[in-house]
Amino acid sequence: MTAEYEYDDLGLVAGLEIHQQLDTATKLFCNCPTALQEPDESSKTISRYLHPTTSELGELDEAALEESQVEREFEYLMYDSTCLVEADDEPPHRVDDEALAVSMEIAQLLDMSVVDQIHVMRKLVIDGSNTSGFQRTMMVATDGEIETSEGPVGVEDLMLEEESAQRLTETESGVRYSLDRLGIPLVEIGTKPDIRSPQQAQEAAERIGMLLRSTGEVRRGLGTIRQDVNVSIAEGARVEIKGVQSLEDIEAIVRNEVGRQAELLEIASELDERDATVGDIQDVTSVFEETDSGVIQGALGDGGKVWAVPLPGFGGLVGREIQPDRRLGTEFSDHAKRHGAGGIFHTDELPAYGVTESEVEALAEAVDLDPAVVGEDTTDAVAIVADDPETAEQAIDAVAKRAETAMDGVPEETRDATEEATTRYLRPLPGAARMYPETDVPPVEPDPETVETPELLTEKTERYQDEFDLDAGLAEQVAYGQRWALFEEAVERGVDATLAAQTVESTITEIRRDGAPVENLTDEHFRDVFALLAEDELAKEGVPNLLSALAENPELSAEAAAEQEDLGSAAEDEVREAVVRVVERNAEQISEEGMAAFSGLMGECMGELRGKADGDVVSDVLREEIGKRAD
Amino acid sequence: MNAGDRVRVDRDDQTFEGVLLPSSNEAQLVVKLDSGYNVGLDREAATATVLEADVYDIESGDVSDQSTVEFDDDLPTISLISTGGTIASTVDYRTGAVTAQFDAEDVLRAVPELAGLANYRGRVVANILSENMTPSVWQDLAEAIHDEIQAGADGVVVMHGTDTMQFTASAISFMLETPVPIVFTGSQRSADRPSSDNVMNAVAAVEAATSDAAEVMLCMHAAESDDVCALHRGTRARKNHTSRRDAFETIGRKPLGVVDYDAREVTFRREYAERDETALALHADLETDVDLVKFTPGAEPSMLDPVDGAAGLVIEGTGLGHVNTDWIDRIDALVEAGTTVVMTSQCLDGRICDRVYDTGRDLLDAGVIEGEDMLPGTAMVKLMWVLGNRDDPVAAMGKPLAGEITDRSVPWE
Repeated sequence: MTAEYEYDDLGLVAGLEIHQQLDTATKLFCNCPTALQEPDESSKTISRYLHPTTSELGELDEAALEESQVEREFEYLMYDSTCLVEADDEPPHRVDDEALAVSMEIAQLLDMSVVDQIHVMRKLVIDGSNTSGFQRTMMVATDGEIETSEGPVGVEDLMLEEESAQRLTETESGVRYSLDRLGIPLVEIGTKPDIRSPQQAQEAAERIGMLLRSTGEVRRGLGTIRQDVNVSIAEGARVEIKGVQSLEDIEAIVRNEVGRQAELLEIASELDERDATVGDIQDVTSVFEETDSGVIQGALGDGGKVWAVPLPGFGGLVGREIQPDRRLGTEFSDHAKRHGAGGIFHTDELPAYGVTESEVEALAEAVDLDPAVVGEDTTDAVAIVADDPETAEQAIDAVAKRAETAMDGVPEETRDATEEATTRYLRPLPGAARMYPETDVPPVEPDPETVETPELLTEKTERYQDEFDLDAGLAEQVAYGQRWALFEEAVERGVDATLAAQTVESTITEIRRDGAPVENLTDEHFRDVFALLAEDELAKEGVPNLLSALAENPELSAEAAAEQEDLGSAAEDEVREAVVRVVERNAEQISEEGMAAFSGLMGECMGELRGKADGDVVSDVLREEIGKRAD
Repeated sequence: MNAGDRVRVDRDDQTFEGVLLPSSNEAQLVVKLDSGYNVGLDREAATATVLEADVYDIESGDVSDQSTVEFDDDLPTISLISTGGTIASTVDYRTGAVTAQFDAEDVLRAVPELAGLANYRGRVVANILSENMTPSVWQDLAEAIHDEIQAGADGVVVMHGTDTMQFTASAISFMLETPVPIVFTGSQRSADRPSSDNVMNAVAAVEAATSDAAEVMLCMHAAESDDVCALHRGTRARKNHTSRRDAFETIGRKPLGVVDYDAREVTFRREYAERDETALALHADLETDVDLVKFTPGAEPSMLDPVDGAAGLVIEGTGLGHVNTDWIDRIDALVEAGTTVVMTSQCLDGRICDRVYDTGRDLLDAGVIEGEDMLPGTAMVKLMWVLGNRDDPVAAMGKPLAGEITDRSVPWE
């Protein structure tokens, strides 16, 4: 499975869908703030049901239909930061101007054309993640392009849409969601299927991420950007992979998905050679009445049944690995789980799990297969599901359907990325039928002329090196970080550029490592600190202590904190007094070592002054004082 | 080139392919792309080519064959009467607005959860938004309900837009003496969204219609959650919120009863008229020359000019039932000329008492009838009915005919 693939030969075609939350003041369709909340801050809970509806063309979406087959009750946590719009108890307001402006700015960076008239659509989503049962989404721009080292990648379209509610937990009767996240503006950028290698996929994702952050208007942090990857190979099928957590995983996920599709194609051709078929599903409970298998016993004890599907020609293939640690049988199992079952057993892995050899034989006979050819290293297979009667029957039916598609090759579907960079079945691919107009919001005629072009982070990095003489690493850190605006302000008011850059980046990292709660530091804190530096009221050595003090006591002003920490910039006579004290304490050492004692005593002097003096000044005075005594 | 055609639209160096949709705006071509997104393109700047004509019948949609529901002798028969409104609405793609296009059978198709609760008979009395409702439609509706009950319906569910549901429910309350439940229901969130309240409201309304209470009731969400519907007496309900599911409230008391959605259980808080206690009778006459005028500070007595010669006038006064003292002579003249004048309060909750302050006493002297604790809208509908059916309007307006007046003020009950 670790084989390297020749992606060109396999005909790899991949595209990306990048979802990025915008950092606007309010949500996309109401005036609620975009701040996230802790579930225990919730002030109210409501519960709802959802029912599928048809599109304006009278069609029902397959993915929505599958979702609706289980009636579930959805619980929603509300907060003082949510309103009736999130609760679907008030029509949406008009499209947020700020979000629209940012999305047009992004469109421009991606070299896209903004459409003449934007229509807000409802995308049917009835897993409860939207209280309305749909996600509001609108196509803002089309047809752009980005550069990668392996050639240009087209950008198909850019959507502005509302973020879904955060899924908190499964409940007895359904799912619990939190409404704080619902409605935060989100852009979805879809590339054309121009990507030809896993490395290029990752590079394209990184490039788009950099362009997004260049606007300075996107949210940062865990979960604020998500990547979906669409992958297919020649003869394979389009597979949409959701929930790729980090950019670093993209390459591995694409590689593993290519592997899966290649293996599935091989399995299909072998099934074809063997004239494999999928038999009729049937109740085989009687075979397991005396079973020692804990799983089956448990199901039967609760009045459950065992259902089986005979798979002549599938022997050995159900157990074949198609991704690291995932077999064709795992795919069958995913579909069974989707219908509520705990999983499946198949004869490629039996006898095991308490199922005996004689039960496997009896099972083969029960489904009219020759026991001699059922099992691993043979030609035939049987898959079984044990659960309550309805679940078992529905689940084995889903397994049978998935087995049918195995004979055709790779099914088109939506899959979920796992932590191991493999994927599992999530749901059918959603179609156009799940989209219909949001009639509560009139179409918008945007004016792309009003959009400003931001400086790219790559350009910013270069400018910081040229203009401010920052070294490349620090320049990049500041440009890609979240405080470049504060940095520029500080330099503007006369603070040394390197000092300002260190203050907003490396110093923060250091004091965080030492345990300071740096998340408490506001822009105002930084501005105050820079003001003290600019007016020479603070020595640069005092910056870490002052920021730590402010992080601990965010209610203090920088001035008050400096005073509390005794960090005022010491006058020269104060410095001299301190240096003289140190020098006199160490008179013996100085007379023995002369100027060689300097570096050891420098540290002691700085400690004596506790960071409130400039190191250069202290150094000058110390040299002078040692000089006097070393003669 | 027509709506429903598959088209290709070239705009500068971009190409869009999809189904042409009706546009609400001459300047734009609206195309539904294969991704499902709609996009508007400047008609002047774009060149459109028809790839295939009439791919979709936009006007009617591709509606599937209707299912034939079998009659079950063990189940009660409920008559579903549609008047239009959100519960039976779909999107009008020409205007983009939501309009009513469904008949009652479509509702059955739209709300499969209704299956198995009753046998249904569908009937369409009107297909209008509730703001377009008129007294003559109330009369048609009363007649239709009467006919349905006479034909054996064990209960009636009326699907109605929520905006004026309380007026229609009041009218039916006065016009019909009923041996079976008559339940009004609707939805605050349109039926074309998965989160619509239509499913739960319709199911709960059918449960209420098969219950023992031969009352005219409104059945709508009791809270923001999909758990309980409240049953409001038709004459005491009011829409008190523009958009919430639980917009309706019973004024002055707790609702008459509730329907638990999960348990499918109907319970009542107070006494009600039992099934088959009352013989079916229809009194559909209305005197429609009745006005409702709201007094506000500074409003001139000339506001009453258009009311001259009217058969009836309901005033929505302030507090206990007051208007500017300048209005009193004018009201006196109206009463003198034969107009029946009833006082109600814009407080909505509480009872009229024109005996506390001088203004009130002067109004009584002028011949104003105290509207007790009637809602202003209900009082107006009642006055129409009383003037059309009773010889003693002054006496009839002061006493309860259909639960519109309570004799004891007990809001905690």
